Amino acid sequence: MKKNGFGGRSLIGLCFLFLYLPIFLLIFFSFNAGESSAVWQGFSLHWYGELFHNRLVIESLATTLLVSLLSTAIATVAGTFAAIGIYSLTKKWRDPILVVNDIPMMNADIVTGISLCLFFVAFFHGWGGIARWLNSWQSLIKFPTRMTLGLTTLIIAHVSFNIPYVILNVAPRLRQMDKNLVDAAQDLGCTWMQAFFKVILPEIKPGIVSGALIAFTMSVDDFVISYFTAGSATQTLPMTIYGMTKKRVTPVVNAVSTLMFLAVLIVLIINNIRSAKQARLNARRASFEPVRENPRVERFKAWLTTPRGKLARRLTAAVTCVIFIGTVGFLTAFTQSRPVVNVCSWGEYIDEDLIDEFEAETGIRVNYQTTDSNETLYSLLKSGGADYDVVVPSDYMISQLIEEGMLEELDYSQIPNFEKIDPRFRNLPYDPENKYTVPYTWGTVGIIYNSTMVDGDITSWSSLYDDSNAGQVLLINNSRDAFGIALKYLGYSVNTTDEDEIRAAYELVADANDRGVFQGKVMDEVFQAMEGGNAAIATYYAGDYLSMLENNEDLKFVVPEEGSNWFVDAMCVLKDAPNFDNAMKWINFIASTDSNLRNMDYIWYASPNTEALEQYPAWYEEQYGEELDPEIYEIMAAPQEVLDRCEMYIVLPRPTRAFYNNLWIQLGI
Amino acid sequence: MSKELIRLKDVTMTFDGETVLKDINIYFNDKEFLTLLGPSGCGKTTMLRIIGGFQTPTSGDVLFDGVRINDVPPHLRQVNTVFQKYALFPHLNVYDNVAFGLRIPREAEGPDGKKQKVKLPRDEVDRRVREMLEVVSLKGFEHRSIASLSGGQQQRVAIARALVNRPKVLLLDEPLGALDMRLRKDMQQELKRIQQQMGITFINVTHDQEEALAMSDTVVVMNEGVIQQIGTPEDIYNEPKNAFVADFIGESNIVDGIMRADGVVEIFNRRFACLDGGFEKDEPVDVVIRPEDVDIVSEAEGQLKGVVTSVTFKGVHYDTIVDFYGFKWLIETTDYCPVDSRIGIKIDPDGIHVMKKSKYSGMFGDYSSYSEEYDEINDPTLIDEESAEGGEDEE
Amino acid sequence: MKNKRSLFAVPYVIWMAIFVVIPIIIVLIYSLTVPVETADGEVLQGSLENFTGMALYAGVFGRSFWLAFIATVICLFIGYPVAYLMSREGPGFQRVAMALIMLPMWMNFLLRTYSWMAILENNGLLNQLFAKLGIISLYNRLTGSDIDHFQMIRTSGAVVLGMVYNYLPFMILPIYTVLVKLDNRLIEAAADLGANSATVFRRVTLPLSLSGIVSGVTMVFVPSVSTFAISRLLGGGKQTMLGDLIENQFLGGAYNPHLGAAISMVMMVIVLICMVVMNHFGDGGEEAMML
Repeated sequence: MKKNGFGGRSLIGLCFLFLYLPIFLLIFFSFNAGESSAVWQGFSLHWYGELFHNRLVIESLATTLLVSLLSTAIATVAGTFAAIGIYSLTKKWRDPILVVNDIPMMNADIVTGISLCLFFVAFFHGWGGIARWLNSWQSLIKFPTRMTLGLTTLIIAHVSFNIPYVILNVAPRLRQMDKNLVDAAQDLGCTWMQAFFKVILPEIKPGIVSGALIAFTMSVDDFVISYFTAGSATQTLPMTIYGMTKKRVTPVVNAVSTLMFLAVLIVLIINNIRSAKQARLNARRASFEPVRENPRVERFKAWLTTPRGKLARRLTAAVTCVIFIGTVGFLTAFTQSRPVVNVCSWGEYIDEDLIDEFEAETGIRVNYQTTDSNETLYSLLKSGGADYDVVVPSDYMISQLIEEGMLEELDYSQIPNFEKIDPRFRNLPYDPENKYTVPYTWGTVGIIYNSTMVDGDITSWSSLYDDSNAGQVLLINNSRDAFGIALKYLGYSVNTTDEDEIRAAYELVADANDRGVFQGKVMDEVFQAMEGGNAAIATYYAGDYLSMLENNEDLKFVVPEEGSNWFVDAMCVLKDAPNFDNAMKWINFIASTDSNLRNMDYIWYASPNTEALEQYPAWYEEQYGEELDPEIYEIMAAPQEVLDRCEMYIVLPRPTRAFYNNLWIQLGI
Repeated sequence: MSKELIRLKDVTMTFDGETVLKDINIYFNDKEFLTLLGPSGCGKTTMLRIIGGFQTPTSGDVLFDGVRINDVPPHLRQVNTVFQKYALFPHLNVYDNVAFGLRIPREAEGPDGKKQKVKLPRDEVDRRVREMLEVVSLKGFEHRSIASLSGGQQQRVAIARALVNRPKVLLLDEPLGALDMRLRKDMQQELKRIQQQMGITFINVTHDQEEALAMSDTVVVMNEGVIQQIGTPEDIYNEPKNAFVADFIGESNIVDGIMRADGVVEIFNRRFACLDGGFEKDEPVDVVIRPEDVDIVSEAEGQLKGVVTSVTFKGVHYDTIVDFYGFKWLIETTDYCPVDSRIGIKIDPDGIHVMKKSKYSGMFGDYSSYSEEYDEINDPTLIDEESAEGGEDEE
Repeated sequence: MKNKRSLFAVPYVIWMAIFVVIPIIIVLIYSLTVPVETADGEVLQGSLENFTGMALYAGVFGRSFWLAFIATVICLFIGYPVAYLMSREGPGFQRVAMALIMLPMWMNFLLRTYSWMAILENNGLLNQLFAKLGIISLYNRLTGSDIDHFQMIRTSGAVVLGMVYNYLPFMILPIYTVLVKLDNRLIEAAADLGANSATVFRRVTLPLSLSGIVSGVTMVFVPSVSTFAISRLLGGGKQTMLGDLIENQFLGGAYNPHLGAAISMVMMVIVLICMVVMNHFGDGGEEAMML
């Protein structure tokens, strides 16, 4: 056959360049001294060191490895036997089974994900009754009455989509195998099981290995199916990365991925060298050239059949097993060591040292997870996907949760630090008698703009909608905020249920959208866009503005004159929380003045703790040896006159929510 | 010869409602070379697999040394098989393939009378493997991989692998099917030699009548799941029981005749002397006349007169097709008769074989479409595909 | 013996029934019901409401299928030549190339997509490069416009790029697998019968590799239609796709699993129809994911 010339080779090369360019960049920036993934700030191994301190990354990596290892092992064994079984069926039965086998591979991941999610939820729903009945009827085994999405469902989902790949790789080997081989082995004295191990297994081994390899790869890489079946108390690395891509991917992830990538690369290289050698050997054998076996290899092979060699072989097998079980066991212990309080919050919304401190102080393990919006949290809780004790939703979502009876009343006698919460933040409309909540942070929504890209100072929401900054504006990507701001601009209440007013707000936004004012719709992606100077104007939270300011000094923040939304995020405990007392301890710990100070410093959101709020400027000076810019303090903890301009969201009735939603979708089209 | 070793009693086998073997009754003697011969789909491989233990008959019994072994799995039978296309283990080399069976621990009665698993000692395995490789002339090939062997060498490995276990019976499923013509001839000799050297029963399955005649002590001709005839090669050739056997073994002209009296048969309204008897008077019969038993004489001298329609030179002789009253005969003769010449023929009494009418009467023995049939016989692509009869379809 | 062995398939069949077939039936049930509030709390009620209201999303359907179609075509036009060229290389080269195609999967696709964000941003690497090379000022001079960057990210083009980038290996692999098994004698035979190389390709190579193309197209098209991460990262939230829509009904603000299930069903049916139509052209599917 004609080999490719230079042209052909360079086309292949270009294709690989395209595939690998982003990967090289990722690896390159894992050695960046700075945090940016676009600006080189010098070489450093900093992020590789950091790796071992980043709980979220390490834990999700452990989960990923555990799920992938276990599901691959299960799928490989199950798939191999299934392939043998299917293969010995008659065509009439085999064909429909193979069609079903194709479903998980050919179906869109998202459909597989949601179908499994709905299935599990339906099952859990029914299970409660069955378990109670079983428990009432016998007392030998106590069945848990409440189950949620988690590690088990994740592994089941992975096994389900992995088995088809194993079968697909094993089946052709079976098909190629001489049908008489098994008969021959039995004829020579093997039982069927012996024949299986001595003949079938070695024959189909290459298929099993490549099937397992693909299954493992798919498992490690999978995001979509895990996303829908893991619930939220369990996170795989891809899910963690997804959470981060919205805000800022810490180069720690680059570092982890680089290490994984290198590990696989090394394995592949070794494998390649070996198979190249094997290919050469086979070629020589096929050409009837005398093959001189390596005498050392020969001697080794002979040694393997001696009693001592056999013992060595068995020992090796045993050690391999022990290593596998040990790894799985370690990972299980690491990820599952009885979490004693499950907390769900937002991304980068806590000083992580506080978690370690709490654990050291109380001996309670904290399983700290994040979601990205109130709505996601609500969906998770609603679908039974979550198993949290403490959640930190925002005001309007709290009232919705209370309304639907999903929250537990707190035991304030266990939370002495509640006394320190400023009266301004108690008994707010979402929890008028303050039975369910302890405020976590509060703040305002305003305009963030890049002073180098915008003429003069912005004071009005109008700059979001007029043409002066067309193509440079980022719209906030949630209907409540986007329309709420428009309502405010038009002089209506953010909580109006009047459909005409809401429609007017929609028209304002849609009109600007048609004129090409908006560059995109963003949530946490706003960090990247604004810090990198990729857009001029965005709407976001004051605390997050201050985080961005650390990376881009040109940014400014304003709460426009028309007024805005102000919000409170508060800690609540879910109904039937399994670790109620520990949850109280956690809430009390976080509500303390010290915790509030450090959180404020770390996340730049204002604290509801009176002492912390007052002491912060002094504390800052003490920590950093320089005065806190009063302007910054004012943006963080908006003065009362600003708050007076602002309105807090209250939960909208269901028809209004649906109306919002429809308009929002029309906007997206 | 010697004592009976295996007997099939009323064995019937059906796959998905299709009967593959019908009421088979047969026995196999010790130290005998026996061939099951028949066209593809005749049930011969199924019979072999029943003896090997890979299939259980739908009804009937399999007896080994007088003991019923229907439910004994293959690995416990004192029978080994050389499979179609050999079924050598591709992941093992020659030595390990041959040693495979010896390395399986066998159940044996220990000194205390208890059954226990016993493994052959390593040096014993080694000795027997090397000995057997010598028997099949493969010394020095121990470490070769299977893929690097030629067809004939693979064949020898397969035989060695089976024989090394010292079975009482060796089953061979189309052992020479995958070899080319020359090698096949050599291996026929070789197999016979090995059988005599080992002194055990060989049961061979083939669709090649020449092979069957050359190697066997006994030939069993089968068709459509029924045994047509059992006998020595000579019997089968000279005294076929029906038109099917006559046609399947060698070339034959089969014509309708009427038995007028013992030793007198009428063909084409002419009476011929023959050696057969025991028929009713005027019974319609099938008459077999082998092509080499016909003498060509001048038209006037001939018992029958015909016209030559085609002549093919075959080296030793000419295949001459002669038309007798619209019925075409094949005659092997050393005399050249040009096409369209009119000739007569003579048949000696011992050249005529009379058979009872059977369901095969009228189906064979006419050479009207000679050339096509001839091609078919020599078509190497029409090798028995009996492996498909197990009811399994493979791509 | 055979029958005993087929028992091995039983656990698997049960597993697949429980975890593949039943879940899809549940999706169907969800799509055909709506929750209704009654005195006893929420109950499900059969309704076609989810489907009738879907006209609202026609635009999203249109965009998803259109973008996925473009991405698939581009993948085919890049993937086929690459697979073809690869199949003509020596075995060593092929082994390395195969490994290189599988390897990126070990770097999570979200991360790789994120990396594209850094490249495509308005202030990103590519725009910086263009500025350094003077391409932007040249463009400004030529067109009389005044831009300081090309808008690449948060456009539908970026979404298509993301799809092509992520799913290109799934196009190359199956086509390559088929091409590498192609008997070279067929090509020689065609040439012997007087076909020039273009004709050989058109009349022999291409028809024989159709099965690979079909499975490649399926494996690119299906995930492209249903993606939600790529469109969110590279489309800047402006390019709502079916995946976003569905995700939003399950884990997003619009929480309405019934509508989400209905949208999934419709998407599945359309994809199924596309696949049936395509299977007319070639019989493909499986060999795609075999190493």
